[in-house]
Amino acid sequence: MIKRFFTIAASVAMLSPLCALVQAQQSAAPADSTAGKKWTTPRTPWGEPDLQGTYSNRTITPFERPANVAGREFFTKEEVAALEKRAQEQSGDEGRAKGTRGDVERAYNDFWWDRGTKVTTPRTSLVVDPADGKVPALTEEAKARAADEGKRPSFRGAGANGRGTDTWLDRSTFERCITRGMPGAMSPTAYNNNYRITQSPGYVAIQIEMLGGARVIPTDGRTHIHQSIRQWMGDSVGRWEGETLVVDTVNFTDKVLYRGAAENLHLVERFTRVAPGQIDYRVTITDPTTFTKPWTLAIPYVDTGEDMFEYACHEGNYGMEGILSGAREEERAAAGKGK
Amino acid sequence: MRRRALVTFCGLLLLSTAGLSAHHSFAAEFDSNKPIQLKGTVTRVEWINPHTWIHMAVKDADGKTEEWMIEGGTPNTLLRRGLTKQSLPEGTEIVVDGYRAKNGSNRANGRDVTFPDGRKLFMGSSGTGAPRDGRDGSEK
Repeated sequence: MIKRFFTIAASVAMLSPLCALVQAQQSAAPADSTAGKKWTTPRTPWGEPDLQGTYSNRTITPFERPANVAGREFFTKEEVAALEKRAQEQSGDEGRAKGTRGDVERAYNDFWWDRGTKVTTPRTSLVVDPADGKVPALTEEAKARAADEGKRPSFRGAGANGRGTDTWLDRSTFERCITRGMPGAMSPTAYNNNYRITQSPGYVAIQIEMLGGARVIPTDGRTHIHQSIRQWMGDSVGRWEGETLVVDTVNFTDKVLYRGAAENLHLVERFTRVAPGQIDYRVTITDPTTFTKPWTLAIPYVDTGEDMFEYACHEGNYGMEGILSGAREEERAAAGKGK
Repeated sequence: MRRRALVTFCGLLLLSTAGLSAHHSFAAEFDSNKPIQLKGTVTRVEWINPHTWIHMAVKDADGKTEEWMIEGGTPNTLLRRGLTKQSLPEGTEIVVDGYRAKNGSNRANGRDVTFPDGRKLFMGSSGTGAPRDGRDGSEK
């Protein structure tokens, strides 16, 4: 029975929209724990709020609110403890049925992964708006586009998956070492959840460990580049509103999807240092061609004090070769059986 | 009790799904129907992105030596856990339980990697969590 429970749980997990869920290592006091204490954001020598540091955004807080806590914004202490205990146990071997697809996907244990085992915010979901903690429904237009994805010259998904195995273009932009899209690149995944923020007068730079690269965001008052110029990470311009860095991003390409959205995405990110070692990161996602209403994610970025390491993804991406050649071998085997 | 079961289920959901967020799909690369156990010695370690690869020499039943490659974790995480290029010197005996590549080559992913006496090669701290499947004596 227990085994069957695990099997069912794993199967549900494979299909669940919660697939984007990830986990965290570092413990962090929730932002509001500092309430009542006088703490002011430090300033750079040129007078801007100082956000600089190396952060991780790993967390086991669910992306969307699970059904069993529907209507509740926060977990109880007992629920947090249970989630963390379970995460700790699951970071090992328990519940993994040998000979299953899920077992292959999990590969080893948390020595290799960096999903973490801590709830970094007691919220029941990273989605904080709408109030139900769920990503708003897709528009009819978006559903129609999704049905036609297979006709496009390349797969636009940004997860660890594909739409097929005929060509590398059938695999995701993540597997192709290009990008996890936006705000995917600012959201936690299974490892390399590290970010370094540096500032200079007129610029904020955010180095992203997973897949590498950096966002260099001007804060000197300039406007967006012409809308005819489209970029994988869009075009970002920033401004300071009190203690908060506000970053407005548009001009995305149509080559990568974020939950069905692409070139019409409009992101407004807010970075606020709410404690010495923590940034409250929020991103509001608007695309009337994809989502029936705007929605907002809130993800804690916790100072790790660790170094960043390069992740030159193409260096030895044998996985892509293995996926495609594996499919050819399976086709040969199937053809042989047919004779 | 029922509530605890729900919380447990939710936790499972979190963890099970998280495994799918690796850089690429292991299940598309390796075959869950082809579990394999390899015993041999490390010949070299490719300390590369996006994943490390352990090369090992494995003797088959006829005494002939074959070269195998075992896919490992991102070097970024391994480095943070204290592992380096020098941690697995040439000649180290290891036992790999994993799944063979779908393309039939001498490649596999390392579900469990142990020393011959059963100790885990990648032994997580209590914070990182290593598998507890009874094979490692230190679990008792």
